[in-house]
Amino acid sequence: MKILIRTDRLSKYYGKGGEIKAVDELGLEVYEGETFGLLGPNGAGKTTTVRLLNCIIKPTGGTATVNGYDVLKEETDVKRVTGLLAESPGLYEKLSAHEFLEFMGALYDVPGDILPERIDDLLKLFGLYDRCDYLLEGYSRGMKQKILIAAALIHDPPILFLDEPTSMLDPRAALMVKDLIKGLADKAGKTIFICSHILPVVEELCDRIGIINQGRLIALGTIDEIITQTKTKTLEKAFIALTGGVEDKELLAWREQKGAGA
Amino acid sequence: MPVPKWLVVARNEYRIRINSIRTIRPYFPYLVIALLAVYVAFIAPAVVSLFIDDLLAFFLSQVALAMVPIIMFIIFFYFIILPITYTLQGMQAGQVEIFLAAPIKPSDVLLGEFLGVMPFYAIAITVMAGFFTAALNPLGLDMLQIAITVIIFVATFLSALWIGTVIAALVRTKFAKSARGRDVGRALSLVLALPMIAVMYAIMGGGLLEALADPGTSGMVRAILSLLPSSWGAEVIVNFASNPGNIGAVGFETLTRFGGLVAFFVAVLWLGTKAANRAYSIEPTTFTASRAKPDGFFYRTVRYLGGGGSFGTLLVSVFKDYGRRLENLSRIAYIVGLIAMVNIFFGGGFDDPEAALLMGLFLFPFLAVLVVGQVTAGGKESLFIYKKTPFGVGRFVKARLLQGWLVAVPIGVAITVVSMISIPQTTLISLLTYTGFMALIVAANVTLALGLSLLNPEFSENTRTQMFGLIVNAQVAMFVSLGIFIGSLIVLDLGFLNTVLLQTVVIWLLGIVFLYLGKRRFSRIE
Repeated sequence: MKILIRTDRLSKYYGKGGEIKAVDELGLEVYEGETFGLLGPNGAGKTTTVRLLNCIIKPTGGTATVNGYDVLKEETDVKRVTGLLAESPGLYEKLSAHEFLEFMGALYDVPGDILPERIDDLLKLFGLYDRCDYLLEGYSRGMKQKILIAAALIHDPPILFLDEPTSMLDPRAALMVKDLIKGLADKAGKTIFICSHILPVVEELCDRIGIINQGRLIALGTIDEIITQTKTKTLEKAFIALTGGVEDKELLAWREQKGAGA
Repeated sequence: MPVPKWLVVARNEYRIRINSIRTIRPYFPYLVIALLAVYVAFIAPAVVSLFIDDLLAFFLSQVALAMVPIIMFIIFFYFIILPITYTLQGMQAGQVEIFLAAPIKPSDVLLGEFLGVMPFYAIAITVMAGFFTAALNPLGLDMLQIAITVIIFVATFLSALWIGTVIAALVRTKFAKSARGRDVGRALSLVLALPMIAVMYAIMGGGLLEALADPGTSGMVRAILSLLPSSWGAEVIVNFASNPGNIGAVGFETLTRFGGLVAFFVAVLWLGTKAANRAYSIEPTTFTASRAKPDGFFYRTVRYLGGGGSFGTLLVSVFKDYGRRLENLSRIAYIVGLIAMVNIFFGGGFDDPEAALLMGLFLFPFLAVLVVGQVTAGGKESLFIYKKTPFGVGRFVKARLLQGWLVAVPIGVAITVVSMISIPQTTLISLLTYTGFMALIVAANVTLALGLSLLNPEFSENTRTQMFGLIVNAQVAMFVSLGIFIGSLIVLDLGFLNTVLLQTVVIWLLGIVFLYLGKRRFSRIE
């Protein structure tokens, strides 16, 4: 199977002497048509990994290729073949949804004869066609998230990076996005790289997952393989076993202090 | 063939800037061009004709030799800080991520951002160039001189705008990634204007024009300013005014100055594109998180003044949230700087203590609004915290009022004392009396300002939106003070002390009423 994303000892260190290891010697491979999930607690290095793979930041060490393009030497080619839904993206709130997608399409060189129809199709898909002339500042968080997903799809890239794709969506919208991701993977053959700490989403969508903690990849495989490796019964238990959690006996310790129950 | 990326960014930037007039967007450029044509052809010459004798005398005088470079420098500086201020006030790193993820060169983004806002600055440049050419035209300048004059304006101010755009992008990279950085940026955006205000006040009241009439002084100023590119074009314009229709007489000066200006314009364009790679980055610049120190003497005193207990704790929390925002401290620095400059440049002629207090009377409402005018930092979410707790809104308003008094009253007292002790006629009794009244007036203004801001709370985190709300409230508070002052001192002729007394009583009454209404309105916000 063709490898579309490959990282080799990919690292991103910050601070004096590189004491902060945001991503530490990451090595993983993602295959064509696969939906891969990168899991990890907050601050584990998921977003940094996505930014490295999209050439938004440069690695401190190691290498990576995306669709065969080197992230250090072929930045523009990498950017053309990827779509990114960032974790905390900046929207142009003074643009309408249509104008914003038009802008994003132009940035990614979508031909002018295709772009209007594609924008309309995406807006209809996300149920926002009737509000396409409204400024984005008036949109709810969920509606903004839909526009950002549409923006990531606007140039129909073979590889999609989705950082927390359903975190701001209501159940109906989340279901639609999950179905869309499944469709993009199964019917359109897209390779999808999802970052999330919402385990049910990852369980439902991903063929394989990697678990990252403090910048290091600590588990890689299918969900069943990881559950087996950790001798647990669920992905949640496996995740806690790998990344650490609070003991049951510690959970109510704060109530035992004098006067805390007042 | 794909549209050039810089054009995509420019179009986007332009759309964002004119979003408020979207309905007339297709006709907007034609409308503006038509209006500018009318301005250049008819309005500017008509306005100039009203003062033509003075203007011609000015351009041919010794003052013009230094004054025109100063005017050009002020506008040059303004065009540099305008994009920086705009960026500092509304910084977002997220939009940078959009560009970084897309196949676009940073230099295209920079050029696009510059070209996108250029039409609006071009309006200002046309207005200024139109005025200057209209003023110079009666001297008999030939077509070449007029063309060079127009090019000077365009090259000088577009250079400044480009420098400002590049610095703004670099500043955004430096500050926008962290909450602390954004706070620093917002703080800087306000105080950046102070140097320019200082120069303007020096011209208006500081005797700068008179000083420049002296060849020695103006020569020195010219020598300093001639180092700046903004002056090179100014010198050419003044030379044209002295030699209308005879460019040969100043050919060498024109060639060197004008040539230098054009070379400077090209150089800054080139350097800016080279700096573009540094201007677009979302790499974290710091990992040092700000840490709170244990409460010292000051906060222990504030807690005590709040009666100790839970309200004292609440007051200290409100104080900390206020004091740790550099933006708030910069607002205080701004108003104190403004009052200091007013005293320096306009206060030289005061010969009695009452006159020295006038500026304070009119600027204290502004101080009060800047201190308590933004009651909802953190948006509606912070309001809901108070609404959720028992008697939360009432305690919040009380805490903000106390905090406002504790910040504004000492500043008002200090300004009053400093203003009065510089006047020889000030006695201890008058110093104590007026300082007491001023403290009461500042406290009343804080009450009024808080009431106004509660009546019309601004929930936006955007500094530009916040400043608009603050300015509206400041105008209301200032007109109240001005109205009472004029009514009492000038119309009723009650004398200064009675006017201050009346002002104290009326602003207190209005403050209490507005605070009550504001609190009621604030409690009902959903």
